[in-house]
Amino acid sequence: MQKIRPSFVFDENLNSSFLEELFEGDTIYAEAVFEDFLKDLPVYWERVEAAYQDRNLPTLGTSVHTCKTLFGYVGFTDLQELCQQFENKCSVNSPEELRVEYILLIQRKERAQHIIEKEYTRLRLFNGEND
Amino acid sequence: MKLSCIIVEDIQIAADFLRKFCEKSDLVEVKGHFMNVTDALEFLDQERVDLLFLDVEMPGANGFELLDRLTYSPMIILTTSKTEYAFNAFQYHVNDYLKKPFTYKRFLEAIDKLQQQAAEAAPAQQTPVQPTTVNPLPDSDFLFIKAEDKLIKVRKDDILFLESMRDYVKFVTPLKSYITYSTLKNMEEKLIGQTFLKVHRSYIVNINKIDDIRGNIIYIVGNQIPIGKGHKEDLEARLNIL
Repeated sequence: MQKIRPSFVFDENLNSSFLEELFEGDTIYAEAVFEDFLKDLPVYWERVEAAYQDRNLPTLGTSVHTCKTLFGYVGFTDLQELCQQFENKCSVNSPEELRVEYILLIQRKERAQHIIEKEYTRLRLFNGEND
Repeated sequence: MKLSCIIVEDIQIAADFLRKFCEKSDLVEVKGHFMNVTDALEFLDQERVDLLFLDVEMPGANGFELLDRLTYSPMIILTTSKTEYAFNAFQYHVNDYLKKPFTYKRFLEAIDKLQQQAAEAAPAQQTPVQPTTVNPLPDSDFLFIKAEDKLIKVRKDDILFLESMRDYVKFVTPLKSYITYSTLKNMEEKLIGQTFLKVHRSYIVNINKIDDIRGNIIYIVGNQIPIGKGHKEDLEARLNIL
């Protein structure tokens, strides 16, 4: 990994201290991971939506579990917690009971995706300027 | 010594991080990355590795099912984002547990721990002059177990089963259990034969002592022994099933 570039500061919505420890200042790798996240999340989220539509709660729980892991790699530790709570409820609640939380999860996911899109753009610019 | 490993992980970002950490450390060589248990087992049938980085929740079979089907005992590091698997991890004698996402620092701690465990286990396996368990005659009907600061004579016929406890092995007899510093692999070489059979990565049983078998559980004098999927055929072949 490359030397730390201290001038890059992650978005305040992200767990920046964890991201700094995870990437150890390698903003090139961070850019690659954020790009992979934006590519992978829609694929995994489709599984979440399909499982919810099919009322398949075990698969819904497993699919949210996968998204939870992805959120962790881009510093959304609070969203990870929300995913964990939802995942736990999948084994005890009905789809109707989960509806409000499901909508909240969608909103949080969309917001997260938007933040990462912006962070990815910032990282690209930062890395381009520091080539 | 560099450890050979495979990564069993269905999330590409997580696998990429792990591969990067292995390369950076120069302590672990990645022989392959597999997105599911079936592909990993296919590889492990052909090639042995020192270490598995194993995710638990994957499409199809989960990580513990892979461990059930393994026919040898590499070191295991579970990589998961759920802490609920800690009890299972203990039962399967995994060497460490990394909660995703984890940092390079945490990765190195896990590898250091493995190396220490390997170094501590090595003398017991490699020093023939002071074996922990002595079998004086190849075909004798007894053996000596080094436990409780002495060598204890135990008749092979009295042994119900052996259980791996990481760097120790528990010998269970009807009256007493003995724990000795050794590995199940070491015991396997000394005991496997007419009456002893490995039925799980953590268990060797005395076939003569089996009371009954229900599903994937062997019952021996009130003890329940799991049968690993990779061992079921061997067991059935050894039983006189009418």
